Amino acid sequence: MRNTIRFTGVGGQGVLLAGEIMAACKIKEGGEGLKTATYTSQVRGGATVVDITLDDGTIRYPYANEGEIDFMLSVANVSYNQFKSGVKPGGIIVVDPNLVHPTDEDRQKWIIHEIPIITIAKEEVGNVITQSVVALAITNTMTGVLPKQSLVDTMLSKVPAKVHAANIKAYELGEKYAHIAMGK
Amino acid sequence: MAREVISTGNELASKAAVEAGARFFGGYPITPSSEVMHEASDLLPVVGGKFIQMEDEIAGISVALGASMTGVKSYTATSGPGISLKAEQIGLGFIAEIPLVIINVMRGGPSTGLPTRVSQADIGQAQYPTHGDYASITLCAGSLTECYTETVRGFNLAEKYMTPVFVLLDETIGHMHGKAVLPDLEEIEASIVNRARFDGPASEYKPYDVPMNKPAVLNPMFQGYTHHVTGLHHGHEGFPTEDAIQCEFNIERLVGKINVVAAENDGLDDLPDYEEYMLEDADVCIIAYGSIGLGAYEAVQKLRAEGIKAGMFRPIMLWPSPAKRIAEIGAKFKDKIFITELNMGQYTREIERIIKRNDFTTLLKANGRPIAPAEMVAKVKEMM
Repeated sequence: MRNTIRFTGVGGQGVLLAGEIMAACKIKEGGEGLKTATYTSQVRGGATVVDITLDDGTIRYPYANEGEIDFMLSVANVSYNQFKSGVKPGGIIVVDPNLVHPTDEDRQKWIIHEIPIITIAKEEVGNVITQSVVALAITNTMTGVLPKQSLVDTMLSKVPAKVHAANIKAYELGEKYAHIAMGK
Repeated sequence: MAREVISTGNELASKAAVEAGARFFGGYPITPSSEVMHEASDLLPVVGGKFIQMEDEIAGISVALGASMTGVKSYTATSGPGISLKAEQIGLGFIAEIPLVIINVMRGGPSTGLPTRVSQADIGQAQYPTHGDYASITLCAGSLTECYTETVRGFNLAEKYMTPVFVLLDETIGHMHGKAVLPDLEEIEASIVNRARFDGPASEYKPYDVPMNKPAVLNPMFQGYTHHVTGLHHGHEGFPTEDAIQCEFNIERLVGKINVVAAENDGLDDLPDYEEYMLEDADVCIIAYGSIGLGAYEAVQKLRAEGIKAGMFRPIMLWPSPAKRIAEIGAKFKDKIFITELNMGQYTREIERIIKRNDFTTLLKANGRPIAPAEMVAKVKEMM
């Protein structure tokens, strides 16, 4: 069983780390996980895309195949428009509605959820850097690809101890908003 | 027991260097190779090694060559633009016969090109990175594991043949993050090759007085022997000469110690120079290397699922090329050979040279994007 997930944003938002955490967790669970990032030579503000492939068997080609992505999360309009075509018809896309503006056509093609990820991180967690963990929680809650506790443990092993509490809070908020968006 | 790690290709290359015995890194950061250097700065001090970030690319390779002359296994890492800057000193490495591992994580070129994007356009540069006549050894990693194993191999070949060795990664493989299975440390340590040394009296030390097709025997500096190292043609003791017979011999030996030895022994060591994937019963052969090979595995699987018997040939030692096997593949598959690479055909030309035909189907790209398995599948279907 293969799951392909894509995070898109702009340079500096921390989407790379979320991808690494998911790949590492899948490997810890005995499968294979691979993360690749494509970014521009702009220091900040360039369109960034992270592809995460999770599989119980071998993964060779590290990028998502066009039209095969199960789930995409986007926090920047420039990269949303550039990389949305990779998502399979009927796939799930989560966008931050303050930053990303899907068309009516997009809404017919994909299941689009709007969650204000940056605002949640900034105002409810109190630390904008935790947006990648909010995104991580939303992704896993909606896709169910990884066991929650294992993913949280992997995440905590990759962030400094002094921000563990903030990141746990970020994860829980992400999970909560994902459930609300899905109508649960 | 094999070791399982989660890492990137760039980090694994530095880990391999240190575990292969490297104790010096000199270089200058450049995308997409900088993590090789970051990792070196973490790992080397812990094992008593030295790490220096120099003022530029040229200084980076200069200090690495200097360290190697003292007997310390050394390496540098860069990308294509850095190789261009290092070209003059790479030439010194060839003619003075100084072992050095040069890791090139390829990005789009020419010039500063596409800094963050993948390319395989330095294949030709690795064969002839500087002026003059010599033969290059170039290894190309095609997986995270090979970023490790081919770097170890690079150090062993550099010491065995007394020459700079290129280890090519590319942006995809250097930055991709996932699981790699590495040989255990004891196995690596048992494989280590150290350069030959002369143990006779200092008065009889003649480092370049070696037979045709044999590498120089350079003792480490500061151990009681007198050294003269120059980029000029030199005689047995290392002092400059313009003697026609000596100069002729020097160049024949520099080329022959790699190319003639590889042709006579079917390679430069006992390790595989290529990988074959489902090639035995195949009707069509995909030739790909480096990160493009990763897509080719999946293309082979997709084609087979649709009833087309495809297989892959993936060269690992690009220079000197596995010519004998490529010729056999040419004889077997005739025009059913499909070559795909991220440049305008730099290795295609080598395959054409060996097989002596130029009607292969190719998929060549130089726009900084990877080649997807679906693109390869479509191209192969056109051939069948």
